Amino acid sequence: MPFNQKPQKFSAKINTVTIGTGDKAISLGGESVLPFYTFDGDIENAPKVGVEITDNGIDDSLPGIKAFYDGCASVADMAKKASQMEGADFVVLTLVGGDPNGDNKSVEDLVAIVKEVVAAVDCPLVVKGCSNVEKDAALLPKVAEACQGTNALIMSAKEENYKAVGASVGLAYDLNMGAESAVDINLAKQLNVISTQLGVKADRIAMDVGTAAVGYGYEYVVSAMDRIRGAALSQDDATLQMPIITPVANDSWNVKEAVASEEDFPEWGPREERGIGMEIMTAASDLVSGSNAVILRHPQSVATIAKMVKELV
Amino acid sequence: MYKVTFKFEDGSQVENYATEGETLLELAQKSNVVIDAPCSGNASCGKCKIKLLEGQMESKKTRHITDDEFDQGWRLACISELTNDVEVLVPDIASAFKSRMKVADLSSKDEIQIFQQTKESIEFAGIDLHNSLDVVEVMMDPPSLDDTMPDNERLARALRKYMNLKTVRFPYSVLLKMPDVLRESDFTVKCVIRTTPDDMFVYDIFPKDYDVVIGGLAIDIGTTTVSALIINMETGEILAKASSGNGQIRYGADVINRIIESQKPGGQLRLQKAVIEETINPMVEQMCSSIGFSKKQIYRMCIASNTTMNHLFAGINADPLRMEPYIPAFFKTNSLFASDLGIDVNPDAHIIVAPNIGSYVGGDITAGTFVSMIWNKPEFSLFIDLGTNGELVFGNSDFLMSCACSAGPAFEGGDISCGMRATDGAIEACTIDKETMEPTCIIVGGEGEKPIGLCGSGIIDVISELYLAGIIDPKGKFIREGKRIKRDEYGTGSYVLAFEEEAGSVKDVEITEVDIDNFIRAKGAIFSAIQTMLVSLDFDVSMIDNVYVAGGIGSGINMQNAVNIGMFPDIPQEKFHYVGNSSLSGSYAMLLSTESERKVYEIAQNMTYMELSTVPSYMDEFIGACFLPHTDINLFPSVKARME
Repeated sequence: MPFNQKPQKFSAKINTVTIGTGDKAISLGGESVLPFYTFDGDIENAPKVGVEITDNGIDDSLPGIKAFYDGCASVADMAKKASQMEGADFVVLTLVGGDPNGDNKSVEDLVAIVKEVVAAVDCPLVVKGCSNVEKDAALLPKVAEACQGTNALIMSAKEENYKAVGASVGLAYDLNMGAESAVDINLAKQLNVISTQLGVKADRIAMDVGTAAVGYGYEYVVSAMDRIRGAALSQDDATLQMPIITPVANDSWNVKEAVASEEDFPEWGPREERGIGMEIMTAASDLVSGSNAVILRHPQSVATIAKMVKELV
Repeated sequence: MYKVTFKFEDGSQVENYATEGETLLELAQKSNVVIDAPCSGNASCGKCKIKLLEGQMESKKTRHITDDEFDQGWRLACISELTNDVEVLVPDIASAFKSRMKVADLSSKDEIQIFQQTKESIEFAGIDLHNSLDVVEVMMDPPSLDDTMPDNERLARALRKYMNLKTVRFPYSVLLKMPDVLRESDFTVKCVIRTTPDDMFVYDIFPKDYDVVIGGLAIDIGTTTVSALIINMETGEILAKASSGNGQIRYGADVINRIIESQKPGGQLRLQKAVIEETINPMVEQMCSSIGFSKKQIYRMCIASNTTMNHLFAGINADPLRMEPYIPAFFKTNSLFASDLGIDVNPDAHIIVAPNIGSYVGGDITAGTFVSMIWNKPEFSLFIDLGTNGELVFGNSDFLMSCACSAGPAFEGGDISCGMRATDGAIEACTIDKETMEPTCIIVGGEGEKPIGLCGSGIIDVISELYLAGIIDPKGKFIREGKRIKRDEYGTGSYVLAFEEEAGSVKDVEITEVDIDNFIRAKGAIFSAIQTMLVSLDFDVSMIDNVYVAGGIGSGINMQNAVNIGMFPDIPQEKFHYVGNSSLSGSYAMLLSTESERKVYEIAQNMTYMELSTVPSYMDEFIGACFLPHTDINLFPSVKARME
């Protein structure tokens, strides 16, 4: 019996969110097929890969990263270098130093760094908060002001602070907003509903529905992303049709496999290789589960994932 | 030893002595000073606030007390250790829950109507309304020197002949009265008897001219409230009705805290005493004296309550109820008699216990299901009992399915900063003007009563109104500002229903974002349980023909508002019926009619229990339901239309 391919066509489609300006601007989403199902229909915008840097400068504990950013004197230099990394589509600046439980850098200091980065790069820019909701509520509106006109994506708007973040990012400065929730379809949807009720346009929202490193309860991530995509496409649920952007680096570089030193576990081999492995496996899994973009740290991971996307789409 | 003086707002005071390291709450409990402690003294609920007037205590400041309040002397009794002589003020609000025992005025028809309806619907279902208690008049030949049979054999012989039975039994209480009563009325007496096919038990004897009323006692023991009826067992007439707070409440607001308390040394006895000696006996006393009835003429009683309450009532270890695999000591039992438990009625009175189905679905539900009559209807009905545990029964004459969800104490005012039971001073209904954001409240107690707090039905109204007026977002966070919106130092919003000067309490009556969040979780638990149960049967809400809502949330529950906040499914209003305290009317039915009692056992036996914690999708449904009205707005088309 001959094989008859029946394309799985959905009438609904994922919103297209454009980040950045000019030639280098990227678009996330826009497809009406499941991830990488190119045999069912066109995937208008291939998944994108971002490179993460932080306001703390170069992580010199990893030789590969140290070598790549060698010679960079400032965060702005690093951003410029990152934007030229092989396979990179956009640069992500994570303001970890703002965390009151960490370095607790002031809003002014962090905004100054953001301004330098904005001036240094011409690729699309994504800024992530410090993961403390109160600090972010004060910090991100100022970041948004500094990013005016860049069409950047400001992430880390959560249920607790979406009003402050949404009002500045989405309403006052007309940037893109990243709505962050914790691996749960209902929580992701709730945040989209209240954000759009606040007045943020649906096609200006990208979802960060969270991830875990592979092997660390990862099946929840697969299930959540899979059902979010399912609801968006098959049930035409407009409150879940935002593209998904997933910060992979932080989760994969903080698990035991990527943290334990080679002295403690000689049989595991070099730490950097292990971390790259975790980062690549997690990113690949997130993409096939439904993410439209992943945020990575290591040049080798970025190159590998970019190649995978290129071959599949 | 430190001297502690508890002062009350009405000017009275209580003194007692504390040992080193004792907390004020512990001493209050010992001294019978009622301070609300629904969290069982864990400093988590903030309800045991008292004011230090003189002296010092070892006390920490918690999130329940602002800096200003701390400076004024406000402390939580549960974490205040006594280290000195002190004088404290116990404000009315700390004991606002207190059992203001209320003997109902039966002259208005409202109080009795629901029981009349119960009787009618039982008869309509073709169930016989009789029980096995009777009054018979017996004539004996007086003894003489030729007829020297003793009194008890003489009466037994006459009864045997009269009823054509083999055995007749007399308890001690009857033997005690016998010689006097027989002689007083020339050996013609009236007996209160219970007959089974071949055996008779004599409860009481009276002179022949005495107008004998067979009394019965129906009780609903709720975790928060206890209600009771004294009835005429022959006619079903309600002779007296009363309600009171459950005396156990100061040992914890919910069943888990009570069980934990019962495991402390002497705890089991303490809790049994609290419900029997401090709650049920005084109620019986008050009811009887209000109608001039003898307590000893109550010959049978029936208890409907959740599984934990009937275990603690019977003084039986309830600890296995809260631990896997959750096994109660009994589902149904015939072994309880009034004298065993120290209930102040006829010592031989048998106690009927409405049967339990599981450790979290108890006799209050089986009795309530019986009177809701959903087991006798071909169409599908949903029965909801809103209490600390929300219980649901869904089905029709072919099948019944039940489940329990932990809603928490929010419906009865627990876990809500200004929450309280539906007693005097509670805001039971409310509307809020969309433009000015000004509230209009209806307060329990009527004209002139000042608001002290919010009861369940009031909270539903307030949240629904705040949401529809666009004052809070679907997550329950405040998104408008105004005179009535306050923010604390952390930015947490609250809505003031009555400012301090208008309120009958020492602070503003308000609802905070934290309260709203707690309530959203309670309503989410109810709705997700409904949804999970229906989905498991492959049904949707349109299949429900009738919803019967029971429980002490307040009779004024506004069903439309309950739908607006996504607590009940969005189906036409006329399908909702408030059935009041169905546990009490079920208890009444089982007491009055032996056939009803059997029917309840049958219902209990045939009800399928669904354990929600084993359903993987329940958590998903729950998170989806923790939103106003629901994450999936399409489940609430009428609310969607109203918002647009």
